[in-house]
Amino acid sequence: MTGDEWHGSFIRILLDQGVDPIEAQRISEDSRAEAIAARRHPAQLFGPAAAYATAVARAARPAPLNAPLARAKGPVVLRLTGVTKRYRRREVLRGVDLTLHAGEVAAVTGANGAGKSTLLDICAGTIKATSGVVERTARIGYAPQQHGVAPYLTAEEHFRLFGAVHRMGARKAVATGAHLAAGLGWRPRAGVVASQLSGGTQQKLNVVLGELSRPDLILLDEPYQGFDQDSYLDLWAQVYAWRDAGAGVLVVTHLLHDLDKVDHLLELQGAEDR
Amino acid sequence: MLDAMRQQWLHGFLDLCLLCLLGERRDYGLGLAQRLAESGFGEIPGGTLYPSLLRLEKQGLVQADWVSSAVGPRRKYYRLTAEGRVAADERVAVWREFRQAMDRIADRADLAEVETA
Repeated sequence: MTGDEWHGSFIRILLDQGVDPIEAQRISEDSRAEAIAARRHPAQLFGPAAAYATAVARAARPAPLNAPLARAKGPVVLRLTGVTKRYRRREVLRGVDLTLHAGEVAAVTGANGAGKSTLLDICAGTIKATSGVVERTARIGYAPQQHGVAPYLTAEEHFRLFGAVHRMGARKAVATGAHLAAGLGWRPRAGVVASQLSGGTQQKLNVVLGELSRPDLILLDEPYQGFDQDSYLDLWAQVYAWRDAGAGVLVVTHLLHDLDKVDHLLELQGAEDR
Repeated sequence: MLDAMRQQWLHGFLDLCLLCLLGERRDYGLGLAQRLAESGFGEIPGGTLYPSLLRLEKQGLVQADWVSSAVGPRRKYYRLTAEGRVAADERVAVWREFRQAMDRIADRADLAEVETA
């Protein structure tokens, strides 16, 4: 590989990894000048282009927020009062209470089958609680675990479709979608339909669609599944960015280790037969 | 095995090393690599060093400027910002505490060896 080829594939991968084009250009020129100053082949100085681009893209993304910013709590965007769900005689949820304000994050944990996804569906309004009261804001974004993307539509078509639901122009919807995707380290390719995307990338598409309309309440299910470790961290940075922008965020998660920053922790106890 | 461990440790401490070296004086990438090697860390690959510098730049702890020279090539020089200086001091303090704890534990292992001998 010549030096030029190295630089060519370096910038291509930076863009693929969602680095802003102007920033990618600047970084690429810097690397070129750095290699010239060192009088070395870029592969000798930086290693393989792909590995270096991945490391640089990670460093170039905005740093995750370490300390929660001071913020004012907004109005209540979701209130659950005594929510119970029974399928025949099996009780999946019993007496769940939660009050989530704009500018707060709630995490829902619990073993498999404890009713986490059911609770999210109830919050989104796609299934009905057996008893109890669900009150929520009108503008919600919903990123469920599996369903939610249409297998034969491209990412751009999804952006246009979901934008239209919220009366957003096609061009604006596509630009906003691409920008949000870049924040998750993903650049959608033209002509690739959702079924051709990896599981992790489909989930990124889901997350982007959930956020597209700047909703007041964002509901996420297991968003890290199929994400690699860095994307997982990016996603939590994104969750806190949404919160700081004034949205209420409800996240279903298995991982407990960075839940010390969330405002509400809802532990579901699991199903009981009676 | 031990090499991989060293590598991992260095990865964890590289940001702090760079903050300390830049606190001493401004420098360019290869100069920093040289100073790290002279300090006993061995050769730091550019693929590790430059992303670290970029991250520090993004965090506002380091400022980078291209400087032309009459004798040599144009070089990108890095220096600490005011914020970087505060971060360096804080992190060095945490590191000293951490090292003391580690030393106390390691010294116990030494002592135990003497007793079993």
